[in-house]
Amino acid sequence: MLRYLIQRLVAAAITIWIATIAVTLLIHAVPGDPVQIMYASFQTTPEELDAIRSRLGLDQPIWAQYALYMQRLFEGDLGRSIVGDQPVLDVLLIRFPATLALTVASLAIAVAVGMSLGFLAAYKRGTAVDVGAMVLAIMGVSMPHFWLGLLLLFLFSLTLQWLPVAGGDWKSLILPAMTLGLANAAVLARLTRSAMIDIFDQDFVRTAHAKGLPKAVVLYRHALRSGLVPIVSMLGLQFAYLMGGAIVVENVFAWNGVGRLAIEAVFARDYPLIQGFILFFATVVVMVSVIIDVAYALLDPRIRYS
Amino acid sequence: MTAETTDIPVEDLEPKSRRGFLRALLASPSGVIGLVIVGVLVFCAAFAPWIAPHDPLRMAAGPRLQPPSLAHIMGTDDFGRDVFSRIVHGARLTLQIGVIAVGISLTAGLTLGLLAGYAAGWTERVLMRLVDVLFSFTEIVIALACLAIFGVGLTNAMIAIGIASIPFYARVTHSVVLVERNKPYFEAAVSAGAGHARLIVLHLLPNVVPTLIVVGTLGVSTAVLAAAGLSFLGLGAQPPQPEWGFMLSASRDLISRAPWMMIFPGLAIAVTVLGFNLLGDGIREVLDPRQRSR
Amino acid sequence: MAEPVLAVENLTIAFGKGSARHVAVRDLSYRLHRGETLAIVGESGSGKSVSSLALLGLLPPRAATIESGRAMFECRDLLAMSEAEQRGLRGDRITMIFQEPMTSLTPVLRVGLQLIEPLVEHKGMSRRVAEARAMEMLDLVGLDRPERRMRQFPHELSGGMRQRVMIAMAMAADPAILIADEPTTALDVTVQAQILDLMRALKTDFDTSLILITHDMGVVAEMADRVVVMRAGEKLEEGPVEDLFARPTTPYTRRLLDAVPRLGALAGTSGPRSVVAEPAPVGEVLVRAEGLSKVFRDRAWFFGKGRASAHAMDDVGFHLAAGETLALVGESGSGKSTTGRAILRLIEVDSGRIEVAGDDIRGLSSRALRRERRKMQMIFQDPFAALNPRMSAGRLVAEPMVIHDIAAGSELDDRVEALFRRVGLESDHIRRYPHEFSGGQRQRLCIARALGVGPRLMVADEPTSALDVSVQAQVLELMLELQQTLGLAYLFISHDMAVVEEVAHRVAVMRKGRIVEIGPRADVLGDPRHPYTRTLLAAVPMPDPTRKRGALPTLDLETVPMGPLADVAPGHAVAQ
Repeated sequence: MLRYLIQRLVAAAITIWIATIAVTLLIHAVPGDPVQIMYASFQTTPEELDAIRSRLGLDQPIWAQYALYMQRLFEGDLGRSIVGDQPVLDVLLIRFPATLALTVASLAIAVAVGMSLGFLAAYKRGTAVDVGAMVLAIMGVSMPHFWLGLLLLFLFSLTLQWLPVAGGDWKSLILPAMTLGLANAAVLARLTRSAMIDIFDQDFVRTAHAKGLPKAVVLYRHALRSGLVPIVSMLGLQFAYLMGGAIVVENVFAWNGVGRLAIEAVFARDYPLIQGFILFFATVVVMVSVIIDVAYALLDPRIRYS
Repeated sequence: MTAETTDIPVEDLEPKSRRGFLRALLASPSGVIGLVIVGVLVFCAAFAPWIAPHDPLRMAAGPRLQPPSLAHIMGTDDFGRDVFSRIVHGARLTLQIGVIAVGISLTAGLTLGLLAGYAAGWTERVLMRLVDVLFSFTEIVIALACLAIFGVGLTNAMIAIGIASIPFYARVTHSVVLVERNKPYFEAAVSAGAGHARLIVLHLLPNVVPTLIVVGTLGVSTAVLAAAGLSFLGLGAQPPQPEWGFMLSASRDLISRAPWMMIFPGLAIAVTVLGFNLLGDGIREVLDPRQRSR
Repeated sequence: MAEPVLAVENLTIAFGKGSARHVAVRDLSYRLHRGETLAIVGESGSGKSVSSLALLGLLPPRAATIESGRAMFECRDLLAMSEAEQRGLRGDRITMIFQEPMTSLTPVLRVGLQLIEPLVEHKGMSRRVAEARAMEMLDLVGLDRPERRMRQFPHELSGGMRQRVMIAMAMAADPAILIADEPTTALDVTVQAQILDLMRALKTDFDTSLILITHDMGVVAEMADRVVVMRAGEKLEEGPVEDLFARPTTPYTRRLLDAVPRLGALAGTSGPRSVVAEPAPVGEVLVRAEGLSKVFRDRAWFFGKGRASAHAMDDVGFHLAAGETLALVGESGSGKSTTGRAILRLIEVDSGRIEVAGDDIRGLSSRALRRERRKMQMIFQDPFAALNPRMSAGRLVAEPMVIHDIAAGSELDDRVEALFRRVGLESDHIRRYPHEFSGGQRQRLCIARALGVGPRLMVADEPTSALDVSVQAQVLELMLELQQTLGLAYLFISHDMAVVEEVAHRVAVMRKGRIVEIGPRADVLGDPRHPYTRTLLAAVPMPDPTRKRGALPTLDLETVPMGPLADVAPGHAVAQ
């Protein structure tokens, strides 16, 4: 268990480290002069551009830039954004709670709806319930987030006027969370179904039946508990998808999270902000996947006791 | 001796020829619906100018913001362009996106995964660790990073999506290669004296391709979704391109006045994505009989 | 005669419906008496498992249908019961153990919980009482430290231990009938012997009737009172075990019994049976292996070497001559397959020397090694898996000849056709794909493929253990014939002592990566000197109900000599 944990943490550290290299290289991959591109819409003299270049360290060799970037990173400095001229980390931290609320609420919806649907379909394999659930799921998988969002907006906000179009309170969270949650519930339903079907075909489920246990006990104690192991292991990836999906959904509902910030940054070619966002995003995804790996290890005695 | 636990008869489901494959595909409901949808899409893309009643770019083809009518079956947009004509022409862009994006990620991912899986040892470990890292960045962030580098636009979006999915295809290929490499037939080929080229091209590749056909088909739907998403955000298609995601984005401020501008492009995306998803599922059922009852 | 415990009458079971309907069991009837062991025997696809699963209502729902029949148990028809009634009997009056102990226990639940479940469910015991009973049962099935076992998870136990847990679970409720579906097939032969002894003892103590489903005639002879022989879903014959073995009434049963290799059948002879008029004599030494060692390591996660997990081979050495068969025997994990692969350099050893036909195999460049592979070919355990599913039979057989530039064009076609006929396949099989062949035909295909390049050495890794006995006999016959006409050297890897006796000139017994005894077959099998060899031989069930196997010598694991080999007789060496 300890060995497993250390392994996961080292892997996480390596991922974040590679992310720092990637974001430093990012600005160099830009064809042409990144500083000129960034400040294209500002009135700047060549001298001012040179000053900016040296402030960003772009006049130094690449390894020195990386060293500078890492040094600032350890001081908690991700640079300053071009557009708002604020510390990147501050901007990200101000916006992050909104994104976190959205992803957590969506994850809850996705898990509740998706896993029960998938479980039901697997249990009722081959029946009309299964077919119905899977038709629903494949339609959900094929539904673009942003269109589902617009449809919900059209229905609940504009036509029925039950929910606000935008805003910052919990009521305005309902639609974006439903949009993101339902779309991912479809994915999760498919994954859960196939994982549970694998479990139902296992010898130990037959053993449990052969012991004459009530169906509910076989189902929950033997099958579902075993099924949770592979299903939980997929949640890390699901969370990453949710974070990615949040970028789009935040823009549909004008939800002021980091996703919306990222798109603004790409439009404005605000490289320090883009770099900060990528690093921040990767860190969050990696940290969540470590947490999920630990949960996975706790569920599976084969890892817990090794 | 591995005696059977239950003497359940194993049907011989391995398709014996291309015709057998098609027949099996046509026997699966998802395969048929998928084929029909994809067929319609290809037809629209091929004959767009003949199908579309109007020029998709011509402003004031009719009055502005007209609800669906006989003259404009899907209504007109805020510039008076015919929505139906724009959607039919949009099929061309959509197919282009699917083919280019999947082409990029499939070629690169297949090569990477095949080499890593075949080489084993250090090469494999370093390559696959790197792929794992990229994977945890998620596709949309990689695509955003690419767009931040190349700048926005539909072509760049296609390339960005293609690059962003490479880690996924590399992973899938690698996992299949790992399975195949550990099967006795591979060892049998090695012990027969087969060299690298023969092992990769004649033994591994044919056994990897079926999985990748499935993944590639499903991948078209992911790529179409992603491209529409980027265009929706304004990072992909630019005006006046008749791209579905971009059309959706343009409809946003007019949802209550002209819901048809939102409904039809969205429907086009959803149905296209559904078509490729169903086709992919159908092909998987045919190629992997174990999945049949699933 | 007393009322039978169970009377199955006219049972018919089918899978699928309409045109896809496939009858798995047809019109099956048998009776099971109190305290009796009834063996249901058959090869794959005979319907022996399906018929028993049906009694407990464990057939896959919706896929299988019981079309007709009755199964009277305690005056009630098992097949006509409601699901709830069936469930009340399962795990209580009728219990079952399965083939695969590794997968038959729920991995995420403690052994203790799994043991007490049926007791709490059916006997209404409190948790505490059930736990006491479970520990008593664990002790009874020979597991030490029951309190600790109760808290363990299945993955912490070996296969044999898990099967003991399954038996404890099945017997704890004191059932009227125990159905054992190939209970020892997945186990090593010494563990099998222990489990069979245990089942026999418990059955007598608990006065339980036993239905034993198996394909192994040795197990039948050892365990059964009466036998039902099944084939293709139908009962062929039924009778007391002595009668059936002495006077089988159907040709199928007779063939089945004749095909079973009997350990000791060749006692007193030195080599394998001659199957050709003038067999090629044993010639010059072809393979020399010295001091082979290999440690398997866990896959390194990123850097470093990974933890050493097991000594796969430790100072293994032997020689093998042309026209000779050296059998490597041992249980799972003994390193016998690793040794076979190491000789072909399919895996790299850590140290040692391998010489084949005078060439130092370990010193070859990869190009030279590929050329060298012409001389040495391999036959695999699972012939289906060893054939690339996307190549036709003809291309598969031609491939090695193409690789080594032996023939091309029409000459290649002619050679392929000749090889097909040589191994007993039809030449119109050439265009088929591997999945269109039966198991035995696939192994013939593998042999044809290996023969094409004119090898001098063949490494055969359990070549017949995935095949039914009747097919096994034919494949062994072919291998003997090829050796005796072509003078091939075989390194024959097997866990089956009776098969080894049929084919080997010399035998090497492996345990935990080391050879513990090596010598002429007649000496090693006839006069075993190492305690492990003796245990291994004593554990082999005899396919002869008149010759009961003696008690299994207990092997003291601490004191088993595992040191270097020393000669006890000319060519016969034993670990000290």
